[in-house]
Amino acid sequence: MKLTKLLPSIVLTTICCSSSNSFGTLKSKLEQNTHEIVHEAYHDGNWELFISSADGSEQKNLTNTPKINELYPQCSSDGSKICFLVDTGTGRNTIRSAWVMSRDGTDRVKISDHARQPCWAPDSKKIVWLPQEYKKWNVVDYYSKGLMFYDVSTKESTPHPISDKIRHLYNPSFSSNGKWIAATVHAGMGFNHAILLIEANGSKIINLGISGCRPCLKPNGNQITWGSGDHTIEVADIDLDSDNPKVGKRRLMIRDKVNKIYHSEWSPEGKYITFSRGPNGKGDLSKPSTYQGACEMVGVFAKGWNIFSVPTTNSKEIDFETASPGKDYYQVSKDGLSYKEADWLHQTK
Amino acid sequence: MKLPTLLLVATLCLSSCGKETKKTTQSTIELKTGSGIEVVYVPAGTFMMGKENGADDESPAHKVSLAGFIMDKFEVTHDMFIEAELPNPSHWQDDPKKPVEQIRWQEARAYCNERSIMEELDPYYDETKPGFPIIETANGYRLPTEAEWEYAARSGKDSDYSFGSSRQLKLHSWFEGNSGKRTHRVGTKKANDWGIHDLYGNVSEWCEDVYDPQYYKNSPELSPAGPETKSSDPKRVIRGGSWKSSSAMCRVSFRRGERTGDTDACFFTDYCGFRCVRNISKEQLNELIK
Repeated sequence: MKLTKLLPSIVLTTICCSSSNSFGTLKSKLEQNTHEIVHEAYHDGNWELFISSADGSEQKNLTNTPKINELYPQCSSDGSKICFLVDTGTGRNTIRSAWVMSRDGTDRVKISDHARQPCWAPDSKKIVWLPQEYKKWNVVDYYSKGLMFYDVSTKESTPHPISDKIRHLYNPSFSSNGKWIAATVHAGMGFNHAILLIEANGSKIINLGISGCRPCLKPNGNQITWGSGDHTIEVADIDLDSDNPKVGKRRLMIRDKVNKIYHSEWSPEGKYITFSRGPNGKGDLSKPSTYQGACEMVGVFAKGWNIFSVPTTNSKEIDFETASPGKDYYQVSKDGLSYKEADWLHQTK
Repeated sequence: MKLPTLLLVATLCLSSCGKETKKTTQSTIELKTGSGIEVVYVPAGTFMMGKENGADDESPAHKVSLAGFIMDKFEVTHDMFIEAELPNPSHWQDDPKKPVEQIRWQEARAYCNERSIMEELDPYYDETKPGFPIIETANGYRLPTEAEWEYAARSGKDSDYSFGSSRQLKLHSWFEGNSGKRTHRVGTKKANDWGIHDLYGNVSEWCEDVYDPQYYKNSPELSPAGPETKSSDPKRVIRGGSWKSSSAMCRVSFRRGERTGDTDACFFTDYCGFRCVRNISKEQLNELIK
């Protein structure tokens, strides 16, 4: 056989093998990753927390409470516990509470009623949580007033030094050095909309000057990821050891012109960013225990949303219009049952 | 209710009512609601809506007849949102008497329901169903229809501005020409002839209707409520000028469709505000006047 006849099949074989290897590489890396992923999902008319391996395999219902709605899991850095939200009641009689439990779903302890979006301090001993602005129910994500610390051992909450000045925060994230809490503010504290750093044990507030929302600080270093729009996720350097941290070099990490991409979270070593992705929508009130609003908000049913991971080692922007599934990104969940708010459950130390 | 009957009711009430009631014209009545909010009773009537040979979506001018209703004298303010225990999304938060803005369409409707509950009225929007559909029999607060808004803003006048020409706009409105690129306290400019403030400026105001630039070509005469739509999130009508509007955009017939923001976690349209209206019967009006 002449070489000219062989060439197309050689090229095709090379492309297939290359693609297959690339797919295998990201999948196999995630298969070998010993951490797990926890996320919320709407399952059989109820919100539950699901846990799976990093590659999405071995998925199981962690909470399995058909009459209680669990949402917004956040995992302690020592891998021992998960804090989360619980919605009870329906419609305008809903009460949202913050809770904490062991990694296997046992030993559930309520932190507070009328609470929003908890997150862990890096020592795994304290949880930051946001009191609701009013006791009346509202699905809006910035519906908070104040900032509290919950001590896991004493089971008591104490206010942040400037808690009385804090209003309309959402999506807090602690820095790995314990010095700062990053969060979004909307229409509060003199800001129209901003991503802030708040001194964890002091009164300093720094506007990072980056547009967007839902910041997440890297658990092992000085980087931040956040949604810079409905369709973009960025990362940037940030000197969190400084007394006046500033955002350094920014990089557009992920872009999806069609779907919304939200809730970016670092993996424990910072090798991956996991996020939620799906079509725009404002919920589906025909589904019990869900609310009407932007589908990225906690408690709003997001049809077709799944969890994805991308490696942070890619130097180029990942654009879903051109990116290769399995090579540039990996789809962790498949069912699209409003899978949102993933966090990495660290391997127990 | 026929207009003569209404006028009689208004006259009778005005002669025997308490301090909270004062006569503004022959046919409108200023009142305070159960929660202490100032409103104006706008009587039933007929007017010419739109502008003949105006912009495409303002034409043709056409006759519209409406039942009477109660309309807020001022745009909904920050302190009214706080009273209702709702998260205030406004950009400018330096004065509780400023109008709320950055309000999504659905949030404005949610406020209407909260106020209805505070005043022991039946909520007008069914929060248990997708899209919060209207409960037509309910007596609670709601957003005005586009026709109601224009009727109230015209206050019986046929001109572009109920107070005359654009030269008087600065006396009646916070707009691009005098706002300093921000909102201002409600009621700090002159009211129109029916005693209603800020219809021509400060913040633009959400209406209930779906926006359709062709709607006036086949709009019904009796209580038009906007076109039907199959879209889950169509543009909605927003009426009246705002702090950033040109004088032309403050004209009473100027129409605009705005994205509702209902699918946005954060909504940054800082000229979108609203005011409430509600249907009212003769008996309810008399009760309110008491």
